Amino acid sequence: MITRLAYRVGTRGLHRASPAGNVLVLSGFLVAVLACPGVLVKIGALVLVLGLAVLSGEPLGTFLRNIRFVVIFALVLFIAQALSNRGGTPLFSLGVSITDQGLLAGAQMALRFLVILTSSFLFVLVTDPDRLAHTLIRLGIPYRYGFVFILALRFVPFFQHELRTVREAQRVRGIRTSVRNLAGLQRAVRYTFVPVLVSGLMRVDSIAMSMKGRCFGLHPRRTTTRKERWGGADWTAAALFAVLVGVAVLARRQSWL
Amino acid sequence: MSSSRRPLIEIENLTVGFPDRAQPALVDLSERIERGEVVAITGPSGCGKSTLCRALTGFIPEMLPARVSGAIRIDDRSVWETDPAQLATRIGLVQQDPDAQICTLNVWQEVAFGPENLCLAPEEVRRRVEAALDAVSIAHLVERTTTTLSGGEKQRLAVAAILAMQPEVLLLDEPTANLDPEGAKAVFDLLDALRKREGRTLIVVEHRLGPLLPLGPRLLVMDRGRIVLRRPTRRHEDLVALGLRAHWEHRPPPVSPLAGMGLRLEEVSFGYESSSLIEQLSIDLCPGEILGVIGPNGGGKTTLLRLIAGLEKPDGGRVVRPEAATIGMVFQHPHQQIFERTVQQEFAIDGPMSPDAFERALCAARLTGLAKIAPFSLSLGEQRRLTIATTLRRAPDILLLDEPFIGQDRHNAAWIIAQILAACERGAATVLVSHDVPLVASLCDRVLYLGEDAIVGDPEVVFSELTLRGQTAFTPGYWEGKDA
Repeated sequence: MITRLAYRVGTRGLHRASPAGNVLVLSGFLVAVLACPGVLVKIGALVLVLGLAVLSGEPLGTFLRNIRFVVIFALVLFIAQALSNRGGTPLFSLGVSITDQGLLAGAQMALRFLVILTSSFLFVLVTDPDRLAHTLIRLGIPYRYGFVFILALRFVPFFQHELRTVREAQRVRGIRTSVRNLAGLQRAVRYTFVPVLVSGLMRVDSIAMSMKGRCFGLHPRRTTTRKERWGGADWTAAALFAVLVGVAVLARRQSWL
Repeated sequence: MSSSRRPLIEIENLTVGFPDRAQPALVDLSERIERGEVVAITGPSGCGKSTLCRALTGFIPEMLPARVSGAIRIDDRSVWETDPAQLATRIGLVQQDPDAQICTLNVWQEVAFGPENLCLAPEEVRRRVEAALDAVSIAHLVERTTTTLSGGEKQRLAVAAILAMQPEVLLLDEPTANLDPEGAKAVFDLLDALRKREGRTLIVVEHRLGPLLPLGPRLLVMDRGRIVLRRPTRRHEDLVALGLRAHWEHRPPPVSPLAGMGLRLEEVSFGYESSSLIEQLSIDLCPGEILGVIGPNGGGKTTLLRLIAGLEKPDGGRVVRPEAATIGMVFQHPHQQIFERTVQQEFAIDGPMSPDAFERALCAARLTGLAKIAPFSLSLGEQRRLTIATTLRRAPDILLLDEPFIGQDRHNAAWIIAQILAACERGAATVLVSHDVPLVASLCDRVLYLGEDAIVGDPEVVFSELTLRGQTAFTPGYWEGKDA
């Protein structure tokens, strides 16, 4: 699951925009779904996210498969709201009365959740994290914090590998860990996460030495050699941001459904 | 004394002790290293080599708390009065595991990381990055993501990242420990080029000294925190005379192989996504037979062990194991297969033991007195012995070992070999993955070269074929000085 949620090299669609351009697009989606209450705008935003994913070279089937857990959770949210919200006009009964307000509230919540998660997932897919961190540093975030972000990403594949190896070591040794009871859960945590944590701590020490050994933190500022250029794709991203914010404002004023 | 006659590095009565250890790691150590010198440091595991490296770079006691006394001066300036980040402009450390020192996600950024921290002008950063990448011959990898590089490429990247800082002293702590023979050869060739081209001061911690000899190093042998021998060394005969070249007795071939089938691979194929790692590999292994697996990093050696262990399913063909065969697997890093809070509990995972049996097992693993110790606090050598002892406790019919000799000194290596031979005598079909080609050549009944165009056969046949192909780094002759 973590592997799927990772940057992929590409040259199409949002891949052509700089990290700052992609931040704008993501911000536009967040504003659109958080600022306006209507479901139509959220449906439109969701369709737009899927369209942008396809435009950026991500096959629709693959994209949907990768977000299937998000979709399932959104459905759960919808059903929970529909069953528990009793306000409004009753429409039909499923043991409990289902109302128009319950359905609308469920749709609102599920769509908001879907748009936020899918647009964030798309952002991760199309944005080079290294370039993003450097962009944030250029925008004024202290470089020490910027590198925390880079290091966190650097550790993702390492932890994946360690976790897999430790689980394999358990299998070969015939260790079965069960999480069905508290004792089993405790054993599983100790047998799995302690070795992974030890590996992580060992690596943190080495990387800290490696950074210090290359003068990290010697000066209050550092050179940023690679500069991001603001190009045509970024202007398009900025326009998309403006449209999304504009629609959100309009929808809120006009009280669109 | 004029400044030109002062040594570049001066160590005076250096003693270093760690809070959790009763014995100091370095004891009253004194040494002088001149500009442009090549110094090779060797010695058994735990003798203080890495501690010395970390003390020289100021990480001890600044980042790794320790009791220190004596003095270390670089150009007459105390290391302990200098910030390690400041010191890094004078002395650059390349650590043992390249993976554990890469800080960024992209090759270019990784090499630029140091110069950027120095606040150099962007043009100067670019110039240094290009020069460093050229020096280690990885300019073609400039746009690659660091996680996609092979072990050898990562090690070169680690060296390039330090070279870009332009330190006067390059300090390398077992730079070839994790590399395949060709990757290791490339690092030694690179060091030779740096010495010839730039006259840089090189301090190299190594177990494999043979390939360093063309650099004409001054050899420092350490033992229990002290330098016990200092000597310029140029010939393999010197290493043999000093007992520093590991020489393994050839294992006599079994007179009559044990009957039955130990392990069979029938046209096994495996790959990841579009790339094929193993293609139609067929091998029959008798009980008690040892198959040595050598080959480049990323060539599929560990994958082969995982296929045999049943952790991975082949894309084609099949792995046939005797019915109800027990499999024992020793992983490359011991900490990945340690789970319990004490050594005693670690043994108990595989079933209860009587106190007498447990004491005997501890004694056999040379872990006497450590029963109540947390396994993670053991040394690397002790952890390795623990994982091998717990693996062999299950009396595996198929024994799989993934680089068990990495980071182990000769004494530990000899202990591991004795355990492997004992398991074979009992009838275990053994597959040993190792970069230590001379050891594989002497210990194994058959050798599998797993890389492009796999070869399997008797050791002599495989090594002859590899010599004909020009892959001399994968032959024992290269490491024994017959082809250096």
